[in-house]
Amino acid sequence: MTGRYTALAAVGPGLSPGQLLTALAAWAAVAGYLTAAARLRRRGDRWPWRRDLSFASGGLALAAAPAVPLPGGPFTAHMAQHVLAGMAAPLLLVLARPVTLALRTLPPGSTRRGLLAAVRSRPAAWLVFPPLAALLDVGGLWVLYRTGLFAASHHEPLPHSLVHLHVVAAGLLFSFAVCAPEPLRHRWGLAWRGTTLLLTGAAHAVLAKSLYAVPPPGTGFGTADLRTGSQIMYYGGDLVELALAAALAVQWYAATGRARSRAGRSTGAAGAAGPAGARRPSPAESGGASR
Amino acid sequence: MSAREREPVRPGPPLPRRSLWVAALIGAALMAAADEIVFHQLLAWHHFYDRSTPAVGLFADGLLHTAEVLGLVAGFVLFSDLRRRGALSPGHARAGLLLGLGGFQLFDGVVDHKVLRTHQVRYGVELLPYDLAWNGFAVVLLAAGAVLAVRADRASRRSAAAR
Repeated sequence: MTGRYTALAAVGPGLSPGQLLTALAAWAAVAGYLTAAARLRRRGDRWPWRRDLSFASGGLALAAAPAVPLPGGPFTAHMAQHVLAGMAAPLLLVLARPVTLALRTLPPGSTRRGLLAAVRSRPAAWLVFPPLAALLDVGGLWVLYRTGLFAASHHEPLPHSLVHLHVVAAGLLFSFAVCAPEPLRHRWGLAWRGTTLLLTGAAHAVLAKSLYAVPPPGTGFGTADLRTGSQIMYYGGDLVELALAAALAVQWYAATGRARSRAGRSTGAAGAAGPAGARRPSPAESGGASR
Repeated sequence: MSAREREPVRPGPPLPRRSLWVAALIGAALMAAADEIVFHQLLAWHHFYDRSTPAVGLFADGLLHTAEVLGLVAGFVLFSDLRRRGALSPGHARAGLLLGLGGFQLFDGVVDHKVLRTHQVRYGVELLPYDLAWNGFAVVLLAAGAVLAVRADRASRRSAAAR
């Protein structure tokens, strides 16, 4: 039994069809993204290089995660793959705003209209409702590791592929719902997204800690392997949460800055001259002094 | 953020309360992170998982741990916002930092170690001196923070009267 897990962990030639499919899709997406970004720049539009870098490294991580033999026991290697392909890669891909890029580069026509309609559709708005995305993502993990699914999926190629595809897709959806960088029909507020991130992070941390002591049912990993793997899930999850939180925080910082300088400009215009307008107390200021 | 998005914002009035609680948030998150790094990772005094932890303790621990990560990010971005607005009151921020550090330490020592029993300071030794040192240090930090807060309040009242 252990021999089988080792064979799966040290993959290489033993990629499941799901992993192969994700790897091919990732390479194709990276090629498409870089071509589209290059076309946009040739046209004279501004498209930050860091987005190209983010998308390419996300695609590379997704394609390489299952194919590179990772150090440690089979469970440790599995968890490193989980953090890389299910958490880090989706975030990097989402932060690169691929939908925005596609909408900007696609010629007006049915493909562009179709993509816009899909992004603006009501089902899409509900799918990116942060608690729902979180349930599909971290709820799926609880099902995977706390039922017989993990053991079953390691023996059968079809469930293994489906699980892999679900983990990647749910990771993409969750990152998308929390960061919400694209032109969506409805963007859920910062409170929804922040609270969801907090609770999801907690659920992820609790699951990781519980795996330290209690392995997924039907598996026989070594104790040291199980412990290293669960700590990789715990602290690896932290790093991705930190990145997600930073993405949210930067959005908030930029948005409040823009809102304030807009408000500053409008009150400045309402006053007599620039400096006089600047010295006038704002409502918050006069309110604070009277208290 | 690009330079274009960073427009100058007019300096506003100092916000002492906000300066205090934003710094306290940073302090609490920093202390939680220091606890994690020093006692879990470097000394390995606390266990990553303690079999005697009840389920509610495990959940509270996960929530607290995630709140630490998010609190660190939120604290620093709120602090940057205060500075950008010119609304930071440094005296209140220093007081808040100490109150946050001490507040978390005391919360950890009382709620995590004693009420929820997620882990103890150390294992296989007489706990009392460790608990006293842990919580005593927390009280010292809190007292220092309170003194600084009172001083910062007096200073800001004086400067308001001078204006």
